[in-house]
Amino acid sequence: MATALNVPPATTTTTLPQMKKEEEKVDYLNLPCPIPYEEIHREALMSLKPELFEGMRFDFTKGLNQKFSLSHSVFMGPMEIPSQSSETIKIPTAHYEFGANFIDPKLMLFGRILTDGRLNARVKGDLTENLSLKANAQLTNEPHMSHGMVSFDYKGKDYRTQFQLGNGALFGANYIQSVTPHLSFGGEVFWAGQHRKSGIGYAARYNTDKMVATGQVASTGLVALSYVQKVSEKVSLASDLMYNYMSKDVTASFGYDYILRQCRLRGKIDSNGCVAAFLEERLNMGLNFILSSELDHRKKDYKFGFGLTVGE
Amino acid sequence: MASRVSLKSKGKASGKGSKASAEEKSTAQSLKEWSTWAVKKAKVITHYGFIPLIIIIGMNSEPKPQLSQLLSPV
Repeated sequence: MATALNVPPATTTTTLPQMKKEEEKVDYLNLPCPIPYEEIHREALMSLKPELFEGMRFDFTKGLNQKFSLSHSVFMGPMEIPSQSSETIKIPTAHYEFGANFIDPKLMLFGRILTDGRLNARVKGDLTENLSLKANAQLTNEPHMSHGMVSFDYKGKDYRTQFQLGNGALFGANYIQSVTPHLSFGGEVFWAGQHRKSGIGYAARYNTDKMVATGQVASTGLVALSYVQKVSEKVSLASDLMYNYMSKDVTASFGYDYILRQCRLRGKIDSNGCVAAFLEERLNMGLNFILSSELDHRKKDYKFGFGLTVGE
Repeated sequence: MASRVSLKSKGKASGKGSKASAEEKSTAQSLKEWSTWAVKKAKVITHYGFIPLIIIIGMNSEPKPQLSQLLSPV
């Protein structure tokens, strides 16, 4: 009897280490689905590239029901126009933008129209369970300034593939595959008919619960590496290096992202002498106050913006 | 109007060159012209009609919102 009582504990202690070893052993046939190729730098972009703006911004979103909402947005401030000389040219503008969103699990429609007639439209729909269609367009009244792009995404068990068509005879395709539960590799090709350019690129992403490291190389001369570390629940730090081997242009940036209960603060410092910060403070349910600042010490261009967002 | 232009050019070309090459050129040309015309019309339709389309789809989704909710600022 004593031996019978002794036997079960012995077997359980031997099976427990075995079970742990099986969990740690990778099941290569059951890898998770990777992130879409264009979102491979997602964490780094979220921390390092907030939507900085200059001037005043007011957004009002009114939800009519769970899926449908209208938005009204006013912006007043200087807008930068690209200029050939080293001086930045800013033109004060003010516009009102009306938008409508329809968000359904299967179909998402997003449209924004400005007072000068520009339309920004995005459509995202699931054609079948694994195949989805995404389209976006910026239409203007000026001739030859409109762009549109359609893409078909197929999500496989542990890979994703996407095919894109754009106006001006732009074709692109990309593919990303999970190789281990933490590592995924991907590649893309594109061909631009109007500019007679084609390119090929590769990307890799390694992520764990605490960090994400990505690298991307393209034949257009771009090498981009990024590393994001989640230091705690509220803080994450990100760093990023972009190198263009054709034009020998290097930019390194380092940033932080604090997600606190009432606010979200993101800041970054750049090797181009640019320091930026972006604060979103939740004053009340549905009322957010936004402060944005970007100090470019090299070009001596200082931009400050403030805004208010009402609604979800 | 675009199709009339292409017919006129077909008439002129057949008068000058051989008939086979004129027909090939005109079908390719008319196809290109029709597709350009279709893309232009689609762009105008999307430009004016996309936001009304979203509003119509939204107003018909469940639970149906009222028309007054669409126009009032609250």
